[in-house]
Amino acid sequence: MAPRVVITGVGVVDGHTSGVVSRLLDQAEARRLSRVCQFTVAAARLALAEASLDPGGGMALLIGTEFGDMVSTIAFVDGYLRSGPVGLSALLFPHTVMNTMAAATAIAVSAKDLSLTLNAPTVAGELAIARAFAAVRAGRIRACLAGGADEPPPVIVNILREAGAGSDVRGEGAGFVVLESLDAARARGAGILGEIVGAAWRALPARPHGIGRSAASRAIAAALADAGADPADVGHVYTSANGDGPREEWERALLDTALAPHRPPKRSLSLPTGRHSGLAARTVATAASEAGDRLALVHSVARGGNQVAIVVAGPDRVGPDRSTDEASSSTAPHPRRRPAERALA
Amino acid sequence: MKPVAVTGLGVVSPFGAGVKAYWEGISGGVCAIRPITLIDTEGFRCRIAAEVPDGIGGSARRTRADRLALAAACEALDDAGVVRRERAEAALVVGAVGGGMLEAEAWYWRRARGVREPMPRTLASSFPSAHADVIGSALGLGGPRETVVTACSSGAVSLALAADLVADGVVPLAVAGGVDALTRICFMGFNALKLLDSAPCRPFDRDRRGMSIGEGAAFVVLEDAGRARARAARIYAELAGYGMTSDAFHVTSPHPEGEGMARAMRAALQQAGVTPASVGYANAHGTATPQNDRIEARAIRDVFGEGRLLVSSTKSMIGHTMAAAGTLEAVATVLALGNEVIPPTAQLETPDPEIPFDCVPRVAREAAVEFAISNSFGFGGQNVTLLFRRAA
Repeated sequence: MAPRVVITGVGVVDGHTSGVVSRLLDQAEARRLSRVCQFTVAAARLALAEASLDPGGGMALLIGTEFGDMVSTIAFVDGYLRSGPVGLSALLFPHTVMNTMAAATAIAVSAKDLSLTLNAPTVAGELAIARAFAAVRAGRIRACLAGGADEPPPVIVNILREAGAGSDVRGEGAGFVVLESLDAARARGAGILGEIVGAAWRALPARPHGIGRSAASRAIAAALADAGADPADVGHVYTSANGDGPREEWERALLDTALAPHRPPKRSLSLPTGRHSGLAARTVATAASEAGDRLALVHSVARGGNQVAIVVAGPDRVGPDRSTDEASSSTAPHPRRRPAERALA
Repeated sequence: MKPVAVTGLGVVSPFGAGVKAYWEGISGGVCAIRPITLIDTEGFRCRIAAEVPDGIGGSARRTRADRLALAAACEALDDAGVVRRERAEAALVVGAVGGGMLEAEAWYWRRARGVREPMPRTLASSFPSAHADVIGSALGLGGPRETVVTACSSGAVSLALAADLVADGVVPLAVAGGVDALTRICFMGFNALKLLDSAPCRPFDRDRRGMSIGEGAAFVVLEDAGRARARAARIYAELAGYGMTSDAFHVTSPHPEGEGMARAMRAALQQAGVTPASVGYANAHGTATPQNDRIEARAIRDVFGEGRLLVSSTKSMIGHTMAAAGTLEAVATVLALGNEVIPPTAQLETPDPEIPFDCVPRVAREAAVEFAISNSFGFGGQNVTLLFRRAA
């Protein structure tokens, strides 16, 4: 039987969590790392601290991002345009590759298992979490930091908007959940914040940067099937709504069709501060904390057709660990506190 | 790992379009590294690279990288005989780094010099994920769609992730590969790091001076082996295992003892259930930087022992094609198994005494090998080893 995959930590750093970054980085990191890498390292440390998990070399890392470290990329290019070849910074060059946040984080927390950076508009964070869930469940990795990070430079956002790539409201930040098998979590007496019970990601027919015409969704059905659930089990839906009207309309149609005749309440955590890839971690953790005795569906869809669906259960559905009641009650770090409360603590 | 078969290959390389041209080039030991024509190289010490020659075709409304990727993916699907109806279920995993940056840079350069012009639509395709959307939309691929960025190992990672989807039964088949067009950022960055040789690179040579960059695209079709046999598909090889690790050591330098590289190779062997002695050939990452080649050789020696393995570097002929490298080299490995010919390391005149392997200098070698590995390593200590088994 495939292992169950639980959430044992969450860490988010963005506009809601001012002051956290400087507390979580040492002076050398604060000097050496770019801003988005600082966010990412800080969010990873928050999540690991909540999970009380020492990577010990066996931790995997999956980061979704839409922009990577584009701020450093622009600075690198501007150095050349200002001064020619002598203006190029060898220190900035590695930041032009999107895996720079993963590299910085792997070094900072000593994550030596696989390290992946997934690039996608809108859905990158959810995709990283869904991929991580599948990898833990398949037994390929023991534990994983999964989430995303972004720092969208205004000039790039404007270029994308003018070039027809959508009018999403983008924010900046980073966020991770810690995923591990239920058995592993219980064995070390970890507090369990929730469970991912199913996930799927598919591509809908759509032109690049375009909205699809069909409201038929295979990812939602596949995720529910993966979870052994049906639409009636879904109590809440968390969407990727973010100010891009046509895309939001398409997402509503996809959800309404896939969950019909049920119409569970929908909300998005994106607005009003803007969406960033790390928000997926907050959304999944919030979905778990608010799921109660039902299931929550975390859903996102991008222009171009990339779609991710994650089915989340709350900690109550995981059930007590009869064998280690005593140990877990003494070590669990506030398993019922909501992610927003933890992030602001 | 459930058996995953390689049933289709597609390549656009510095030898031109098509797998045939690619194999003729690399098995012939031909070096495709020449003076750069795509971008301005004034003021740089290194002014050469392996460019894809003219004639790749495709719409000018698409970026160069999108066109490279689409041509290679089309060839792979046609080669595998996958019909349109089957494509709706197929996964697509793309390894990419530069995206459509070549065109975006050109626009940004002109803008910085005061030229005001309408914003081209290709700017919306500047990011790596654009390739997957273009390929998926054009070819009707409706399964999971992913773009992975692990620097120079991206193309190899794409195969590993696609193999997971097939092995887990999520999809019956997947299209996976890597692409990168030459970009100014890449060229300038490696110049800034002083990692480029001003002459064509010489992997494993005692006098090697650094790497050469290149561009290209390669895609493969991965398929459940049972399904492939049932439909009588041509099976090139089996992707028997892979290993992916992170050094967690330094942003640009590999671990000095190759610890993460060795872990990736051991993980691939373990997943495939294969002993080191069964492996006969390693298509090395082989960048020709003094540091990489020495450390990679050390890691190979630690896992496979000294001397026994044939080792060669495809980069000696097509340069380092960045995100495409991992897939182009995987294709080279698969073809080497099937053709029983090991492609050489071109320009290898004086073998480095610190590299304790036969690195197949200059001329291809006939060798029947059952298992072969393809190594790919990237900035951030991203190590990947793919392990292939010759088709039965």
